[in-house]
Amino acid sequence: MNPVELLGNIIEVSHSNLEITSRIKAVLSTMSQGMDFDEAIVFTSDQDKRLTCKFKNPKSTLYKILDRYRCYIGEGIIGSVAQKRIPQYYNNKNIPPRFGCLFYPELDSLVEKYKAFAFLPLSDDSYIYGVLVLCSSGRRFITDAEKILLSIISREIGGVLRINDLLLSSKKRIGELATLSELGKILSSNAEPQALLKDIGLIIAKSLNALFVTIKLDHVFLRAEPQRYTYGILDQPIENYVNELEQEALRQKKTVSLRNHGQAEDDISSKYSLYATPIMSKNRILGTITICGGRSQRDYAFEENSRYLINTFANYIANGLENTLLNTKLKDVIKDLNNAQKRIINQEKFKSLGEMTANIAHEIKNPLVVIGGFTKRLAKKMHMNQTESRYIDIITNEVLRLESILNDVLNYVKDTPVPDETCNMNDCIDEVLYLFSSDTTWDHMRILKMYDKNLPSVPCDIQQIKQVFINIIINAHEAMNGEGTITINTEKTIMDNKQFVVVSIADTGGGINPSVIDNIFNPFFTTKERGTGLGLAISNKIILNHDGKIEIENVVGKGATFFVYLPVKNHTNREELL
Amino acid sequence: MNGIKILVVDDEENIRFLFKEELEEEGYQVELASNGFEAIDKVKGTKFDVIVMDIKMPGMDGIQALNEIKNMIKEQPVILCSAYGEFKQDFSSWISDAYVVKSADTGELKQTIKNILNI
Ligand SMILES: Nc1ncnc2c1ncn2[C@@H]1O[C@H](COP(=O)(O)OP(=O)(O)OP(=O)(O)O)[C@@H](O)[C@H]1O
Ligand SMILES: [Mg+2]
Ligand SMILES: [Mg+2]
Repeated sequence: MNPVELLGNIIEVSHSNLEITSRIKAVLSTMSQGMDFDEAIVFTSDQDKRLTCKFKNPKSTLYKILDRYRCYIGEGIIGSVAQKRIPQYYNNKNIPPRFGCLFYPELDSLVEKYKAFAFLPLSDDSYIYGVLVLCSSGRRFITDAEKILLSIISREIGGVLRINDLLLSSKKRIGELATLSELGKILSSNAEPQALLKDIGLIIAKSLNALFVTIKLDHVFLRAEPQRYTYGILDQPIENYVNELEQEALRQKKTVSLRNHGQAEDDISSKYSLYATPIMSKNRILGTITICGGRSQRDYAFEENSRYLINTFANYIANGLENTLLNTKLKDVIKDLNNAQKRIINQEKFKSLGEMTANIAHEIKNPLVVIGGFTKRLAKKMHMNQTESRYIDIITNEVLRLESILNDVLNYVKDTPVPDETCNMNDCIDEVLYLFSSDTTWDHMRILKMYDKNLPSVPCDIQQIKQVFINIIINAHEAMNGEGTITINTEKTIMDNKQFVVVSIADTGGGINPSVIDNIFNPFFTTKERGTGLGLAISNKIILNHDGKIEIENVVGKGATFFVYLPVKNHTNREELL
Repeated sequence: MNGIKILVVDDEENIRFLFKEELEEEGYQVELASNGFEAIDKVKGTKFDVIVMDIKMPGMDGIQALNEIKNMIKEQPVILCSAYGEFKQDFSSWISDAYVVKSADTGELKQTIKNILNI
């Protein structure tokens, strides 16, 4: 066939509308016939810098052997052509055994019948796509003119491969973009994190054709137990590998795979390919995402793709998650804020009743005493007629009336009888604990509740009793510097033939110094820099007024337990009086 | 009454002034201090028959001052006099010799002083 005609044919097929693989096969078939080559084989280079036997002319026999080994760029004749991008021509005399590559043991016997060999790079100006291998039994050499023709043809094939590459990668990109846009949609939705992660798993699994995708979120991040969300089936013994891989990814702060993870001798690593990557945002580790693909014989693409994609996904998820969680947090915070505001007002009111009293006393009472005191002195010093002394009397009496009103306000623990209404101490404590639930200084506190479910209610002034528990619990919190365990126990008991409810509040704050323990119920006794020392004094008064008592069990070095006893029946109730 | 010395400790000038006038009228010699530190200084230089001590004062408060003074002079009579009515009994039995709720009517204070002085 004349070279121009041949080239015409080749260009025709290579630019045809045929599918890429068919186009290359057609080119190879056309040229092997037209130029009398028995073998026309195309190796393509993969991302891992290895050459794979991909296309051949129909008659090819060497293909079977060459297909068995993927040679590295630089390795043997084929590898060195790919590396240097210069064609190499040989005849049966100077062709190196096994094409210069140790891995084709059976090759030499098959190659014997060929007399001329050509190895041509398939490249454009910037990139090598593969190598074209040609062998001929019918011809002895390749002329310079034919070499030019071959270089044109190999360029043509390179062009087709390039289009193929572009096509594949753009398909891949489109797929990724579609996935990312789906991810984006989900991540920017206001879904709850749980639902979100489930959807993420599904999308990623589909886009990568993975066996399963599992996302594990860190407990630090969620302020809860670590949580795992899996799409697909994750069972033993793979789970162990996943756990290990996740740890490794967190340690290395980058993507790790089962293969480079280490020596997985058993069949897991041959059956599956596992990739784990940390989900990190602004250097904060949120968790890990692990993808598992089946390791089909030739699925190098999965490996290469996953490594890149899993990183992209992880970044995406990290940002999205951070946003979503911020969002959720924000909602919670706003919701909490209203409650907290109310609670703080309550809490402050309870906490500083002592201080408040002191302040009121000084702000109002002192001037009142001064006014009243000097009015009296004025009356003594002046000689007044009846009208004037009446005026003075009015002032003095009004001042004294104000004073006594003020005394009533200040004596907030009045000796008034305990109301008839009854309360359950379990509920009462729960309400008190709720006051602290949004307080961040309580983050490291553990509260153990051991309630008697059948606790009888007790007659009490609920506000006052709450104040007692608040004082005791705040003391415990302060004794432990905000870190430790408070154990609250409720039960009923009998003392002197009377039924009592006992609430005990135990802390792990090291106990009360024995040298001060006799003083702690005294007003203004405090060992704290900012304490007023009124907490226990007031509490004691309240409980005594309820016909109850407070007892202490103190273990120096461990902690203190406060027992609050409240009578179930008011002892001065009507029944007894009747 | 001649020569009986009373120290009035209060952070409010007008209260000090009122107590001073009222007690001087009774024939006592009255000195003044406006917080715990001043009170301790005075006690170091002079022997008082009675100290009338407010509780809430800036600097050193009345409870601290009372403790320090009792440490220095064990038998020093001190009357706590503050706006709190709540802890009357606790105080008298705990650290101070008596507790008086501040009032425009200084009768109770005067009577308590007399009781302590046994007159
Ligand atoms: N759970 C506890 N563990 C160790 N010491 C305690 C405990 N509860 C109370 N105390 C001691 O008893 C003292 C008096 O407590 P109280 O609640 O009356 O006053 P406060 O806590 O010092 O001041 P506040 O008026 O703010 O409550 C404390 O200063 C502390 O020394
Ligand atoms: Mg306290
Ligand atoms: Mg004062």
